[in-house]
Amino acid sequence: MTGQIILQLIVSGLALGFIYALVAIEYTLIFNSTGLLNFSHDKFIMFGAYIFAAQFLLNMGVSPAIGIIATLATMFIFGVLVATGIFNPLRNMASPLFAVIGTVFLGRILTEITRLIWGATPFTVPGFLKGVVRIGNVVITKANITVIIVSAIIVVLLQIFFNKTKTGKAMRCVQQNKTAATLMGINVAKNINFTIALSAVICAAIGIMVIPLFTVDLTIANMIGLKGFAAGVVGGFGYLPGAIVGGIAIGILENLSTLVIPTLYKDCIAFVLLIAILLIKPSGLLGHKK
Amino acid sequence: MLQVNNINVYYGKVEALFNVSFEVGDNEIVSLIGANGAGKTTLMKTIVGINKVQSGNIEYNGKEISNQHAHKTVYDGIVYVPEGREVFPQMTVYENLEMGAFSKKYTKGEMDDHIAEVYDLFPRLKERSKQAAGTMSGGEQQMLAIGRGMMSDPKLLMFDEPSLGLAPVIVDEMFRAIIKINESRKTPIVIAEQNAFMAMSISKRTYVLEVGHIVTHGASPELLNSPDIKKAYLGG
Repeated sequence: MTGQIILQLIVSGLALGFIYALVAIEYTLIFNSTGLLNFSHDKFIMFGAYIFAAQFLLNMGVSPAIGIIATLATMFIFGVLVATGIFNPLRNMASPLFAVIGTVFLGRILTEITRLIWGATPFTVPGFLKGVVRIGNVVITKANITVIIVSAIIVVLLQIFFNKTKTGKAMRCVQQNKTAATLMGINVAKNINFTIALSAVICAAIGIMVIPLFTVDLTIANMIGLKGFAAGVVGGFGYLPGAIVGGIAIGILENLSTLVIPTLYKDCIAFVLLIAILLIKPSGLLGHKK
Repeated sequence: MLQVNNINVYYGKVEALFNVSFEVGDNEIVSLIGANGAGKTTLMKTIVGINKVQSGNIEYNGKEISNQHAHKTVYDGIVYVPEGREVFPQMTVYENLEMGAFSKKYTKGEMDDHIAEVYDLFPRLKERSKQAAGTMSGGEQQMLAIGRGMMSDPKLLMFDEPSLGLAPVIVDEMFRAIIKINESRKTPIVIAEQNAFMAMSISKRTYVLEVGHIVTHGASPELLNSPDIKKAYLGG
């Protein structure tokens, strides 16, 4: 019986862990490319969730498949707009403080825009990824299976993109040396815009996937945003494989923690782990050096 | 083929180049010598478009290229190999070379041919092809920077301090490679060097920069024998 509970906790922890990993990847992409931390990244996720659930599914009544494609496309355009209008200008400012304030307030603006357009009342999306699958004695929700499969696909696709395509390799060049990238003929500003748009698309994917796990409201992504940040630091800041390991470690550990401590304190695990890692091994679990 | 006419370049309010004129002809090696801070790097960076000119202009094969975006210059065939190598540290040697051809749409075969040519010039790079560039020695990174510059079939190559911080035996190898590139590909080359003797001995013409001014220029063999140059740059 205990074995079955543990297995159950691991599977649902794995799903949340993948969500944290994607969050860590999404902000690591922007950090590596621009040196900026996107403090509005949880609002990007919330915004993506609202565009999909409130706008496309509930207001316009399109099918989920079309809604997903439309949401990802909208967020891509949104990403290009904020990159051109906000991130690229902020990146060149005299102090990184401008960028911190800029992205924090971008988050506020997104929250208020969402409240104005779609209202402040929390809601759920009936029937979207509901139901369970039984494998032996383990019961897994369809939402969790979807999260695990889709996240794994996104991670693999990103690996292929960064290692095999010209644009992906150019993005790595921009991360490593902007002057040299320019000399190779890479348009650095355009490349950064694309990176930010890609990050916004990943945010939208996260937003869509967490809809069946939570109630859709303005704070839907606050906690996963923070834990995703912790995941990046735990795994190794600025290092994509570290982000994945950190995310999955936090997801599974916090679920297993409910076996020994009250469920109420579950959310503390990520942050205790974050502080512990910073004290013991500041470079993160995978200890990547830049 | 390259003509720089009376350019003035500023860093903020500080003027870095004063009325500089500079020329590179077909197939020739031109050296640019001068002390630290004389403006050698500034001049090269201005030619590729990283620095902007305030007045004057730069023409390349009759086309005005002053102040064009730096990432476009390589499409015109001008390649700048920067001071301090500036390789992509976490990419392998092979990937660094591939990125050198970013501006080209090579087929797999063409890419292999170009990489083979670089490996031929620097066999050391072939041994290290799977190694992360940042883990190599300074000399190897300089070889990689030069090789990466050759990948796009440049029509004009500019080397900034290719001998900086290298052991004398490696410096010789570097200069031999530069001569070889010039001879086999007929590519005109500009070398900015503090190692004035080396640069002047392999070049046809030399420009001498002093605090942002071109103070003299002429055939390298003549300047090598000029008492002033000897005193200022060749240690007596």
